[in-house]
Amino acid sequence: MYFIQHIESITHQDSFQKDNIWNDLKPLTGENELISPDYKNYIPVAALRRLSTILRMGITASKACQEKVANEFDSISVGTALGCLTDTEKFLVTINTVSGDILSPTAFIQSTHNTISGQISLDLKNHAYNMTHTQNALSFEVALKDGLLCIDEGKNSVLVGAADEAIPFLERLRGSLIETEHPFTSGATFLVLSGEKGNSIACIQACEVYFTNENKATQVEQFLAANNCSFQDLDLILEAGSDFKSQAKKHYSFLKYSGFYQSASAFAVHMANDWLIKNGDDKTILIVNNLESNKLGLTLIHRNDVEA
Amino acid sequence: MSDLKENLKAQIIEQLNLEDLTPADIQDDAPLFGDDGLGLDSIDALEFIVLLDSNYGIKIADPNEGKEIFQSVNTLAAYISKNQ
Amino acid sequence: MRIYVTGYGVISSIGENVEETLLALRSEKTGIKQGKKTYSEHFKVGEIGWTNTELVQRFDLTQEASRTAILGMIAAKEAFKGHALNSDIRTGLISGTSVGGMDVSEIAYKDFLNGETDDLSIYKNHPSGTTSEQIAKELEIDAYVNTISTACSSAVNAIMLGARMLLSGQLDRVVVGGTDGLSQFTISGFRSLMIFDEEWCRPFDETRKGINLGEGAGFLVLETEETIKRSGKQPLAILSGWGNASDAYHQTASSPEGFGATLAMKSALKVAGLDPSDIDYINAHGTATPNNDLSESHGIKTVFGSTIPPFSSTKSYTGHTLAASGGIEAVFGILALNKGILLPNLNFKQAIEETGLVPVKNYSEGNTIKHILSNSFGFGGNNSTIILSAI
Repeated sequence: MYFIQHIESITHQDSFQKDNIWNDLKPLTGENELISPDYKNYIPVAALRRLSTILRMGITASKACQEKVANEFDSISVGTALGCLTDTEKFLVTINTVSGDILSPTAFIQSTHNTISGQISLDLKNHAYNMTHTQNALSFEVALKDGLLCIDEGKNSVLVGAADEAIPFLERLRGSLIETEHPFTSGATFLVLSGEKGNSIACIQACEVYFTNENKATQVEQFLAANNCSFQDLDLILEAGSDFKSQAKKHYSFLKYSGFYQSASAFAVHMANDWLIKNGDDKTILIVNNLESNKLGLTLIHRNDVEA
Repeated sequence: MSDLKENLKAQIIEQLNLEDLTPADIQDDAPLFGDDGLGLDSIDALEFIVLLDSNYGIKIADPNEGKEIFQSVNTLAAYISKNQ
Repeated sequence: MRIYVTGYGVISSIGENVEETLLALRSEKTGIKQGKKTYSEHFKVGEIGWTNTELVQRFDLTQEASRTAILGMIAAKEAFKGHALNSDIRTGLISGTSVGGMDVSEIAYKDFLNGETDDLSIYKNHPSGTTSEQIAKELEIDAYVNTISTACSSAVNAIMLGARMLLSGQLDRVVVGGTDGLSQFTISGFRSLMIFDEEWCRPFDETRKGINLGEGAGFLVLETEETIKRSGKQPLAILSGWGNASDAYHQTASSPEGFGATLAMKSALKVAGLDPSDIDYINAHGTATPNNDLSESHGIKTVFGSTIPPFSSTKSYTGHTLAASGGIEAVFGILALNKGILLPNLNFKQAIEETGLVPVKNYSEGNTIKHILSNSFGFGGNNSTIILSAI
């Protein structure tokens, strides 16, 4: 079992440093903006001046996590689907508009995907394992699986997170490359996992990723069976779409709350954790990440057993 | 010269995104780099090279040359006056 | 449980496959030349001469894709040649890349900026994750696909994650490595950092000024001891150690004492159960920037003390191929193990005054080489090391 010691999200919901995000959770409309904390409380001004939204979100959520757990992280694993889009676009504009040899380097430096995890390690002065994964809509799950593996290998304060940021350019791809009814949003969720229960309420029982075009219902059934449960045991399904609504006792499409970004299933983990805090009778939640039709990510979240 | 220095301070604030500062916060002879000054680093040194190129048409090919030039607003202004 | 390397493939400016690469290494012939593209013509780069379309035809690929994906397909296909897909052997692919499909998306984006019609379908090749999915599709691998993006250490981190997934029993076999195609974005980016050497790069030389960029891909096939019994493959080498650590010093600069590098090398030695004195050759990261080579030299001195094994940087052969470098250099490492090769650090003349370290100057074969340590360090202080051992 992989116990969720703490979890923080910065999203278009009022989700940062809240007792329970369900208290204020509402379906998003296109009007909702990113709800940013005062980043100056978390990041030195000298560093903050250079940082784009995705970096601010990632560092702040991580730092808020580190403040809540006793041990320094002994592993940092971050997933991002499209990385630092603002700086990438900014540097593309620079190289296409500035003539001459001398170009401003800051946007380039901060355009690489691992700027997020790199800045987290810099800010926390953390020398541990530091990894950045990017696999389109399964970016969070592959980062999470790395974090779970780190715990299996004996690490005990494992930071896992995902972050993506929206830029206006994405709107041009709506309907052609990106099919979604949801607004494009930015979001970051970071969580601390441990092999020890501590004060945690819930744990991640399993996470699996699928890259085949097999029947998704079969894949879900097999995943559940491998983890000794079935649809009947699920108190809640959090799904990107709504394919499994009819099999669920309770069901939410998490993209309605996170908006569309490809690592939004990380926010669903936050929804699941806080659901179990709020609903004392519920035990088991399945997150179905079917955001992309040719892939599937499944994460099973379980209330910690009460020890006799 | 004092006009040049005032312009420089505004340009430094813009180029380096020093949003919290005003030109009055930057002393002419205060060190720009290191923890005793504005706390600027090697990335900022490259941004100074961009600033000199785009605002004054002065090209510095070797970033090592910048160390002397970028010590303070005074040294920057002196270098610009000499090379423009 | 041992992790075996059972396949390798490589493409870079010095060769389009393992055989050509060995010939170029042997003849001490660099692939770095004056660039031929509009964005590379002012620089010395390790470019591969063919266009994307030519590469797709020459290597009989089934997909049009970005340069990063195409180079990855070529090297991964060579590595996987002779390996049979089999539902009993769960096979994954983990690739490292820094810019993904930027070489094609930057062209479309330029049209957009100029107010012309950009072909939106091109952007589907942009995400780094897509490049790996395309490579996996070319090999018909679908049990697991992942992309590591930690800048210049990406390939080594992909190799490391692959080994860990094999050890944990999540996969039976995994194709691992890295790929990066040159793009205007990358060339302009490193130009903005003012770390190009206009001459041929000189790693570990007192007069070194900076990097020459390159492009390419390098992939390995890793299998467990158990899998080898079923696949019947002959192992080429053992992947015996790996480590990753964060320098946590500066976004672009390495710490002067090479702290993160030291941590990465030490943890790889620990995983391998080896002492520093067991290492017979170090393939250094050695980008030829003043900062990296000095920092890495200090790290090597800290780990190896007064008896430093023969070491060199092969960046003066290929240029710095960024996310691909660790994969390409792992292929060099396997060649070195199997033929007892010490690879020369081309263009070296004068040791760095502060450290006095002298790398391997001439190519030689037939040396006794049992263990090789290979470093790859990335932006943001991402430091990684692998150790390859002879069978």
